[in-house]
Amino acid sequence: MRIKALDLMAKDLRLVFSDGAGIVQPVLLGLILVFVFSLSTPVGEEVSAQAAAAIFWLATSFAVILVFNTLYSLEGANQARIGLLLAPIPVQYIWIGKALSGLVLLLAAQLFFLPAIVVFLGQDEMHSWPAALGSIMLVNWGLVAVGSLLGAMSQGHSARDSLLSVVVFPLLVPVLLAGISMGAYFFGDGSGEDLGGWLGLVLAFNALFTGAALLLFPFIYGEY
Amino acid sequence: MYEKEDQGVLLELKKVSHFFDQRLVFRDISLKLKKGSVLILAGPNGAGKTTLINIMSGLISPASGSVLARVPCEKRAFLGHYTFNYPGLSALENLRFWAGIYGLSKSEEDLTDLLVLVGLKGFVHEKARTYSRGMAQRLSLARVLMLDPELMFLDEPATGMDARSREMLREQIRSARQRGAGIVWVSHTLEEDLNQADMVLYLQNKKAAFMGPATEFRTEVLEAAQ
Repeated sequence: MRIKALDLMAKDLRLVFSDGAGIVQPVLLGLILVFVFSLSTPVGEEVSAQAAAAIFWLATSFAVILVFNTLYSLEGANQARIGLLLAPIPVQYIWIGKALSGLVLLLAAQLFFLPAIVVFLGQDEMHSWPAALGSIMLVNWGLVAVGSLLGAMSQGHSARDSLLSVVVFPLLVPVLLAGISMGAYFFGDGSGEDLGGWLGLVLAFNALFTGAALLLFPFIYGEY
Repeated sequence: MYEKEDQGVLLELKKVSHFFDQRLVFRDISLKLKKGSVLILAGPNGAGKTTLINIMSGLISPASGSVLARVPCEKRAFLGHYTFNYPGLSALENLRFWAGIYGLSKSEEDLTDLLVLVGLKGFVHEKARTYSRGMAQRLSLARVLMLDPELMFLDEPATGMDARSREMLREQIRSARQRGAGIVWVSHTLEEDLNQADMVLYLQNKKAAFMGPATEFRTEVLEAAQ
């Protein structure tokens, strides 16, 4: 299972990075978002840590939509999706492969968002980098678990493309709240937030949506 | 437990019927496909040939009846209108990906040999998006041959192929059959392809209008119609 899901991921990443469009678009949109929000404060004035974290996760949320639309549309060309459905692999492996590809692409996009937050929003102090990166990874997994499931829903149905963003944002609220609160903690002075509570919420969210995705994905994507 | 007459049967359909919404596509299709035999599915447009081959391959479930394939999933292959090729990958990368998904360990040399076999010698490292329709179909054929299938589903496999490629395709079908593969073949060039068939299932008026040996089909249906 491990290797076949990684085969799917390697193929997706090769296609996205060789073409470029699938990663350039979310990165540019996120950077524009950060830049525009930087104009909301007077010159020289720092944006609060909470606001900076909110902007970071907002840019990431938009990236989730674009990334998973791209990843699932890769299977639309020449109906490779049918080939995958006929292959001797459980349908869930496709979800895992897409989620892993999405995670890598999201991290790639965030590599641009973080410096932009530092430059444009004046967040030049982040304490406890390893813990901050750990919390980003956890929140990212929640985002890709939901994104990979709902990206499959939008596959090949243009009317549902718009539905994806409508459905995905309310579902992401708990994990985004946790991400913003933890981000405020790490961008700020490292006080005033109950990190343990938010961490528990993210872990529960991830477990719930990973389980739900593994159960529901065959019904969403397995039908011809 | 199999009955004696079921020995060598790779695929069996029992009273298969299908609907699209409320519309009946066909009803009560029963057949057995044996090792090393070729079944041609024929019929006018809209008769349900593609739907039936999709049901046989396991892609869709029939509304009623049963489909029993006695071949493991990794030994079944499908070649149809859609090539399953990724345009952004080269021919070699496409084959390597599908080999990985099917759990096959194929060397680059093995895969290149397959591409040479289907006439893509000079295009091994070219991205599939630069291929003509016929070349894309040949790449798809290479994918099928790579699986060394025991059961092949061919839905108008010669789509977009020129005369030479069609002959090469027929040669590969002959070779697969000699190896003992069972082949289900949707054909629109019936008179050309009938020579290779053992059985014909002719769909018309939402049922199997003819199901029997290809020789009988030729005399009873084709020649009678002329």
